[in-house]
Amino acid sequence: MAKVFVTGVGIITSLGDSFEANREGLKEGQCGLGPLKNFSTKYANSLLFGEINLSDTQLKDLLNVKESGVSRTSLLALHAFNQAIVDAELSMDKISNAATALIIANTVGGMCLTDELYKDANQKNFGSEYIASYDCAATTVFLQKKFNIRGVVNTINTACSSSANAIMYGTRLIKNGYAERVIVGGTDALAKFTINGFNSLHILSSGLCAPFDNNRNGLNLGEGAAFLVLETEKNSLGKKRYAEVTGYANTNDAFHPSTLSENGTGPFSAMEKVLEQASLKPSDIDFINTHGTGTENNDVVESKAMIRLFKDKMPAFTSTKSNIGHTLGAAGAIEAVYCILNILHQEIYPSLNFKEPIVDTNLIPEQRYYETELKNVMSNSFGFGGNCSSLIFSKV
Amino acid sequence: MFYIHNTTCISPQITFPEVDLDQLISCTENKFYTKEIPSTDIPPAILRRMGRAVKLGVVASIPLLKLQAQLNGIIIGSANGGMEDCIKFLNQIIDYEEGVLTPTNFVQSTSNAIASQLGFISKNQGYNITHVHRGLAFENAVLDVAMLLQENPKHTYLLGGIDEIADYNFNIEYLCGYIKKNSSNLDLYNSKTSGSIAGEGAAMFVINNKHEGAVSELKALKTIHTTNEKELVNVFEKFINDNLPENKTIDLFLSGENGDIRYEQYYKTIESVMNSNVSIAHYKHLSGEFQTASAFALWVSNYIIQTQKLPLNMLKKQTVKKNINTILLYNNYQGYQHSFMLLEKA
Amino acid sequence: MGTLELKQELKEKIIQFLNLIEVKPEDIKDDQPLFGEGLGLDSIDSIELIVLLDRTYGIKIKDPKEGRKILVDINTMVDYIEKNRTK
Repeated sequence: MAKVFVTGVGIITSLGDSFEANREGLKEGQCGLGPLKNFSTKYANSLLFGEINLSDTQLKDLLNVKESGVSRTSLLALHAFNQAIVDAELSMDKISNAATALIIANTVGGMCLTDELYKDANQKNFGSEYIASYDCAATTVFLQKKFNIRGVVNTINTACSSSANAIMYGTRLIKNGYAERVIVGGTDALAKFTINGFNSLHILSSGLCAPFDNNRNGLNLGEGAAFLVLETEKNSLGKKRYAEVTGYANTNDAFHPSTLSENGTGPFSAMEKVLEQASLKPSDIDFINTHGTGTENNDVVESKAMIRLFKDKMPAFTSTKSNIGHTLGAAGAIEAVYCILNILHQEIYPSLNFKEPIVDTNLIPEQRYYETELKNVMSNSFGFGGNCSSLIFSKV
Repeated sequence: MFYIHNTTCISPQITFPEVDLDQLISCTENKFYTKEIPSTDIPPAILRRMGRAVKLGVVASIPLLKLQAQLNGIIIGSANGGMEDCIKFLNQIIDYEEGVLTPTNFVQSTSNAIASQLGFISKNQGYNITHVHRGLAFENAVLDVAMLLQENPKHTYLLGGIDEIADYNFNIEYLCGYIKKNSSNLDLYNSKTSGSIAGEGAAMFVINNKHEGAVSELKALKTIHTTNEKELVNVFEKFINDNLPENKTIDLFLSGENGDIRYEQYYKTIESVMNSNVSIAHYKHLSGEFQTASAFALWVSNYIIQTQKLPLNMLKKQTVKKNINTILLYNNYQGYQHSFMLLEKA
Repeated sequence: MGTLELKQELKEKIIQFLNLIEVKPEDIKDDQPLFGEGLGLDSIDSIELIVLLDRTYGIKIKDPKEGRKILVDINTMVDYIEKNRTK
């Protein structure tokens, strides 16, 4: 099957609004988590968030968005999308070519406007400017119209693994001949909705999340967006190629709506299948960007699945959620961009807030910055409903 | 692309478990609900947490899960999957002022609740995904299955399109102008007003590459976002040129027209560029309008090919009576999301 | 309210709150474990029960681990409610 290369990236997170700024933040071990400023919620000061330091108005000015009804989720997406198409040197003609697809993953949609949605859903007379912007597809339709995208256009929601699946779907569109070029990404803004949702499940950390630490007590929510331009071998000739998408797998844990099975059947088989799909052995993997949310359940289960697969030859691994929190539907795409940084600069960034290993599994994430040879990098994304996806990016 | 084997459909009509489309069920308001959904086969421990959309998908799937023990994945198109629970949770946030909230609504609020529940009850650890792209959510699920079968020619998949009328998404769609003030499905196409009637349903399909035992074969699918009629016609003509061999003709054109005068022109345009001896039928008076109504369209097309019975109430224009072996389906959602599917007798 | 009445009320509330289809109050024995093999409840239910205690009896349980000691069976729940209820 045709090879698929990453030829452009764009990203905005609480670490910064560009590829370079995110690299600096990761390299320096910066933490983008803090109290919430952009909207009011009871938990603004008692919990920590990976919030992007720009208000909606600032984002609209920066991006020159004049249309009404554009939610923060869409603004973040537009920012990362713009960077990705410039980075991949895509002309407007190429973007609106029938062979160009747009695939976006999203879980929050316009529900970041929690209070507005409440009014619109219960209002009988007239709707707000956001009336048609609450669903997950709103961002995709916004970008489709803005850039006149005429190939396959899709929105995927598999909860927290959404954008890993978007990258997978985009890659498969190229491999199966349904597109020559795919602009694929994930986006999610912080929302009163998700803050209260995760809080109701008692899985938000009271302080900074501590992935893979024995005393971890939950995750921090974050926001952000990342886009990747994927192209065929032919179309990417003579262009920079950040990495090749060599593996992708989607499995289901089929155990429980919100927790992973004790032995991590789903995570294990996602990692096992992705290796098979990429024709690689466990020992070929040099580094893993784990799902690593910092919840009691995820980290021990992911550890067990990793141990089962890699045995005593555990690759280096980190969780970048310790820097930016869990960005939900954007996480898979953001972490894919981080994997590309790892590969591009042949370096590993420190995982933060780790003190002592989980008693049962004894795995220790990388805690310092260093340069090293990285050929194949794996990224894990797991979500509610048992959705487990893994991707492999390889050095070209 | 692939072969369609067993199917089920829950709709406002008599389609589950037995099918009788000659008896037209009507609605007296702008909401066209499915009939009461029997849920006797679902374990109570699982049933208790299911929202209505999840129940629709699960109940429709159970007969297929029983018939097809070995499934390699579950691929769902659903624009509003967990909307009902989503708004219930939203209301809790506001009503209890972000206090102590019950998590069940939140967990069930994600669009992938249907696919994941199906994975859970069938203990299916294979590919599991939910496409949520409004009026092309089901079409993307179709494309996904087609690609899966290119990659794994021996696999069998469960494909479905599911959406419900929840009070709140109805309210939002009503405020958006998608729904008529008062209407019945009986005069849907003659209303000369904007909007349609809200519908809902679940259509489920067992899909693989095996010709043997199949009812129909999906030959091709094309989707496009546009509001430009000329571009739409170009896409349509290319679709036919690329996919319909010269020695074959379309026996039936199944139109997704929904009584919204704003988008009627697209259907008329496609009808006008089609050979004049093609019979034309429509179906939104059976299903109502919703984002994944094209799943109902695919189900009913497969049913027509299987039974060679075209219910009279569906017929818009009858030409020479003959066997219906090739059906062209066209649908558009709110005038900007268009899809064509070509279905043939297997 | 006497202990017996409280037990009956709690059973009814649990059934209603967790939407336990086909379960009647008399099906729940006072010493039957709520989780695992007993009534078959899971981790989401344990959080739901903490919400029930809050909304019905004004009892705040911050740490779910503390909850596990209280949410063993009807007896342990009623005992805790009687000692700690604020409404």
